Order: sequence, then C-alpha cells, then structure tokens
Amino acid sequence: MRRVGSIVFVAVVLALLLLPWLATPALIQFGTTTLLLATLAQSWNIIGGYAGYASFGNSVFYGIGGYGTAIAMVQFGLPFGIGILLGAVLAMFFALLLGLPVLRLRGHYFAIATLALAEAMTGIVSNLDIAGRNIGLVLPLRKGDAFFYELSLGLLALATLTVFWISRSRFGFGLIAIREDEDAAGVMGVNTTLYKALAFLLAGFFSALAGGIHAYWITFIDPVSAFDITLNVMMIIMAIFGGAGTIFGPLVGAVLLSSISEVLATEITGMASLFFGLVIVVAVVFMPRGLADLLRRLPGLGWRYFRENLWLHRL
Amino acid sequence: MSLFLQIIVNGILLGGLYSLMALGLALVWGVLNIVNLSHGAFIMLGAYASYYFFTLLHLDPFAALPLCMLTVFALGFLLQRYVLNLIVRGPMFNTLLITFGIDVVLTYLAQIVFSADFRVVNPSYAGANFTMFGATLPLVRALAFAMAIALTLAVWLILGHTRIGRAVRACAQNLVAARLYGVEPRTVYALTFGMGAALAGAAGDLYGVVSQINPYIGDPLTAKSFAISIIGGLENPLGVVVGGLFLGILESLTSLYVGSTYTDVASFGVLVLVLITRPKGLLGRTT
Repeated sequence: MRRVGSIVFVAVVLALLLLPWLATPALIQFGTTTLLLATLAQSWNIIGGYAGYASFGNSVFYGIGGYGTAIAMVQFGLPFGIGILLGAVLAMFFALLLGLPVLRLRGHYFAIATLALAEAMTGIVSNLDIAGRNIGLVLPLRKGDAFFYELSLGLLALATLTVFWISRSRFGFGLIAIREDEDAAGVMGVNTTLYKALAFLLAGFFSALAGGIHAYWITFIDPVSAFDITLNVMMIIMAIFGGAGTIFGPLVGAVLLSSISEVLATEITGMASLFFGLVIVVAVVFMPRGLADLLRRLPGLGWRYFRENLWLHRL
Repeated sequence: MSLFLQIIVNGILLGGLYSLMALGLALVWGVLNIVNLSHGAFIMLGAYASYYFFTLLHLDPFAALPLCMLTVFALGFLLQRYVLNLIVRGPMFNTLLITFGIDVVLTYLAQIVFSADFRVVNPSYAGANFTMFGATLPLVRALAFAMAIALTLAVWLILGHTRIGRAVRACAQNLVAARLYGVEPRTVYALTFGMGAALAGAAGDLYGVVSQINPYIGDPLTAKSFAISIIGGLENPLGVVVGGLFLGILESLTSLYVGSTYTDVASFGVLVLVLITRPKGLLGRTT
C-alpha cells in the first residue's frame, strides 16, 4: 500500500513537472493560477491551519510581494530575481511589524484586525507615487508561460516541504498547542509570541513570493486587485475545504475548487459564482473538517459520516 | 468655521446611518457569536426591496421601511432556523465561511434577478434642504438619521425591557441556564438573527434614499459595520451609535483635511488601533 502510494506520488510530481510540454496554453495558464492559489492556501495553512489564527491579512503580504517586485523592476530597473527577494523581505518586515501587535488579539478580533489591515493597505498604496498611485504599475514583459508555471510549481513544492517540516518539528507541535489552547501552551513553556510571529512571518514570505510571481506573469499590478480580500477568503476556503492543519489538504482543496469554478465558469457563465457560494455552504454543513477528514472516515462510516456532521454542531 | 460645522453635521448624519448598519451585525455577533459576513448583502436586499416598493407600488421609502424590514427579517429568520442553526456551535472558521458563502449566493442571485445596473430611489423631495444652526441639512439625510436613531433606541428598549429581549440576553449570557429557564434557543437564535437582518433591511432602505444601489454594495458595508461594532464595542447598542457617529465624523474630517482617498485608511487604521489598545471598544470596560 505504501509502495503504491509513493509510485502515485512520483507519477503526479513528474506529470506536474512535464505539463508545460504536454498541455495546451490554456491549461498551462490554469495550472499556473492553481499552483499560485495552492501556494497561498498552503501559506495560510501555516498561520491559520497550524497556529489556528484566522488571518484575513495574508493578501497584504501577497500585495506587498507583488508591489515590491514591481517597484524594484519598474522604478529601479533591477532584475526579477532581486525584485522578488526584495518584495519577500519587505513582506517579512511588515509581518513582524504588524504581527507583534495584532497577534496579541484572539479569535474574531484577530480576524477583523487583519481584515482591516488589508483594507487600509489598499488605501495607503493607492496614494503612493512610487507605486503608481491608484493606476498601478506595468512590469516588463517576459514571454513563456512555462517559465512561470515551473516557478510556481517550485514555490509550491518549497511551501509544502516547509509545512511538512513544520508538521513534525518542535515548532509545529508548538503551533498546534497554541491552536488547541494558547494559555496552556504558554504554561507548558512554548514561547507563544515567538512561535506565532514566526508562523506569520513564514506565511508572509510564501504569500509575497506568490504575489511577486503573479505580478511579473500578469505584467500589471494595481492596488484593488493586489490587496483583494476575496483572494484571502479564497485561500481560507481552499485550505479548509481540503483540510486545514494537514500537509496536503490545502493543495487538494485548491486544485478541486479551482477546477470546479473553472468548469462552472465555462459551462454556465454568470451562474458560476452562485454555485461556488452554494458549494461553500453545503461543504461547511456536511464536511466541516474538510476533505482530509472525509477521506479518512468516509470508508468506515458511509452516509453516517454526513449525518454525524449534521448533528455535530447543531443547536 | 461654518465649513467645519458643516463637515461635523455631515459626519453626524452619515454616522447615524452607519450606526443602524452596524447595529444588526453587532447584535448577531454579541448574542450568537456569529460574525455575519452576509450582513452587507442583507443591507443590499433591503435597498432593493425599497426600490421595488417605490417603483412598482409607488410607496414612499420611509413608509416602506417596515415592509423592507419584514422582508429581510423573514429571510434572516429562515436562514438561521434551517441553515445556520446546524453549525452555530462549530468552530469560528465555519461560521465565517458559511456566511461568506451566503453572501456570495445572495450577491450573485441579486445580480441575476435585479441586473447589475445602478438604481436610485428618488422621491419628489429628494433634493430638499433646510438650515439649522447655520449648517445646511439635506432633508432625506436628516430623516434617515432620525429613523436610524429611533430604531436604535427601539432595539435598546426591546433588549432591555421585553420578554423576548430578556430571552435573547439570557442566550447570550449562558445557553444552558437559558434552556433550563424554558427558553427555546433555536427560535430565539432565529429571532435574533432575523432582528439583525431586519435592521440591515432598514439600513438598506435608508441607504437607497441617500445613495445608489447595485448588487455589489454589500461587501464594503459589511467591512464598515465590522469597524463600527469593534470601535463601539458589542456590549450595548449605545456603544454602536457612538462608534457609528465617530466613524462618520472621522470620515468627513479626513476627506476634507487629508483627502477623500484616505478615508478608508483612516477608518481602518483607527479600527486596528482601537483593537490593540481597547479591545472592548471605546466605551467598553477595560479589565
């Protein structure tokens, strides 16, 4: 069983690597978008899934990463590699600066504060001359979707490896302890402030890299789309749909939900978003712990699984 | 000086409407512990209800206020009774997600049914003004302000002095004890959520009079309602009024003295500051 699993795993990785030489341009573009979304879901997983902090501010880092790259390339003529690193460093700086006060809040209050940061960021950036105010910046064009696809795949692999490391390190256990009971974790000797800040920092780092790749790929960035709250909600939904706090859950969630909304968008234009909303509502009611839990327990329970979930949190 | 006074008056009028918008969100949040991300969509539906009562039945938007409230109340009641009650005791993520899903469904249903065109509710007295204390007050904004304050007071009275209000507060304080005293939480939760929705409907009706309507007005209004609930605190409706007025005046002042593109920066910046320094709201007790 284990062997079959690893063969399938290697096959999937190979297929993903070789996709640009096998698929149509449309599929490569869909693949790149999905990989970037999966990276965002995975980076949200670190702070939201493991540490249990419902961050609505990850799109801030995505936007900062994109803007850092764009400003470095457009205003200072630096190459992409240096630009994206500058963006990531800038995002990590902001993660620390904003994280230390905001991470003191808990539950809904943390969620709202990060949401407010994202809203405020849109306003600040649309008033900055260096960021092209509310018109945005146009980046130099680079042809070749395969380059961006492989870059996104590499980034996703890096993020997933990091989460893999987290899931079996002292750091990860600390985060899980914080999620389950922060006060108890503190009493047991977990340096909660440090751990939370590190988790926020890591989430910011990967989100920023994804933002940088996206900006260069699309060759355009503007405040409204860069700090879009919907994007942040998307990553949360993908992570939770797949299974927050698991290694592969966010990836599966991202791929499944992207595919569903892509198919819906081509089949029934106009109704796609409506169905997407319905999928979310039904998923929360019938599988509140995500696909990972569904796959683990459905074979034994069958339909009873859904009935149990229905009774689990009802009044 | 008269400009300053005018700005303050504008801010207060805007703030009254803001308070009404936020009141429903704060009520649901405080009692049910649900942060209702579809609150803005309810406001949007209230505005459309008012628009259709006005254009099809020629009902004055202020006369249609109870009807708008009733329409959105029914929707909220049914949603809580048959959908949200299923997950209300689940983790916070799930309530956030499901209300986001409802928000998406309502927004795009509205887009399909009502189309994405801008609508205006335009009664004959829409352009009328009057002068008070040297400041000019647009009639509809002043009326909307008065309605908003009246409704806020009504909620305060209902929560404080009626049987159903006591049941709602009992559920907020201790669900088990409330049950032991014969409160049926399923109905009370549905009623509370319905009340929150009705307030959103009222806010939508008044919003339609002072501004334009389209299916996408909801999300920014949800965000504003959040900010106000936090700034004012969830403990009592008067806090929300303070939060609403505060935000209204702040936005008016910012748009005059700093620039209208900075209003969101100011309001959300203040929100973050309040959260960090006074997490129980401006009026809340600090522990």
